[in-house]
Amino acid sequence: MAENRKKQIEFSRLIEPHLTSLYNTALRMTRNQHDAEDLVQDALYKAYRALDQFQKNTNFRAWIFRILVNTFITAYRKAVKQPQKISYDDLEEFFLFKRLDESASLQEMPKEEFLENLFDDDVKGALENLPYQFRIVVLLCDVEGFSYNEIAEIIDAPLGTVMSRLYRGRKLLQRYLWDYAKQRGYITDDFKQKK
Amino acid sequence: MTSNKKNDHKNREKHFDCADVEKYVQQYLDNVLDEEKKRLFEEHIDYCLPCDKKVEFERKFREIVRLKTKRLVPAEQVNEKLKNLLKNIH
Repeated sequence: MAENRKKQIEFSRLIEPHLTSLYNTALRMTRNQHDAEDLVQDALYKAYRALDQFQKNTNFRAWIFRILVNTFITAYRKAVKQPQKISYDDLEEFFLFKRLDESASLQEMPKEEFLENLFDDDVKGALENLPYQFRIVVLLCDVEGFSYNEIAEIIDAPLGTVMSRLYRGRKLLQRYLWDYAKQRGYITDDFKQKK
Repeated sequence: MTSNKKNDHKNREKHFDCADVEKYVQQYLDNVLDEEKKRLFEEHIDYCLPCDKKVEFERKFREIVRLKTKRLVPAEQVNEKLKNLLKNIH
């Protein structure tokens, strides 16, 4: 029993600094509080049971996120049979910058101001709408600050896959935000005349 | 002297154009470009104002995404729940 207690204390010590970011990531992945709580709970149980496999002095944060992401993917795959299909036709680099540049309604407004004026909910909504494979890498890199190598370890994929999903995910995010801005009337389709 | 001249010649040959900036902007902002590419990238945006503006916009975009999505401090009860779970885990 004393062994068990020791393990519990050790586990709590390791996990507590990461609870908030695990929960936030879970919330972005599942899109609702109830599922996020369940997901974190499942991940914590799995991690606790697998604690002996965690090698001391290695990257605990990457290890626990790997369990979280795997748990999510397993559950998600059960819930959604068809992978989401995305068209990448117009996913060019600097997508948003270029669209803003073409837009007549923003002539007087600095582009940075457009970004600052976006509602938190729009940015969160755009992120949550990304197909999950892209959403996970964008979250891990741009929100949680993991390196490419750590992400490769977490999602168990080659570095090239991480980079390609990350770059596509960011561009897709820009496209969604552009669409929101149009829907909300920040931007009109009144583009500059192209010669 | 000869060696310097050689290096000068070599450096003159290599430049990044606007298409290279598009190609490498994400890696540049993620700070994963090797020293040489990073130097060429910065050399280009130092004199190309349109590219510099685009890169700065992209930097700002990431900052906005991080700031507007990051901190959702979990509701007290969630935090409490998770901590209780930790106490009773076995």
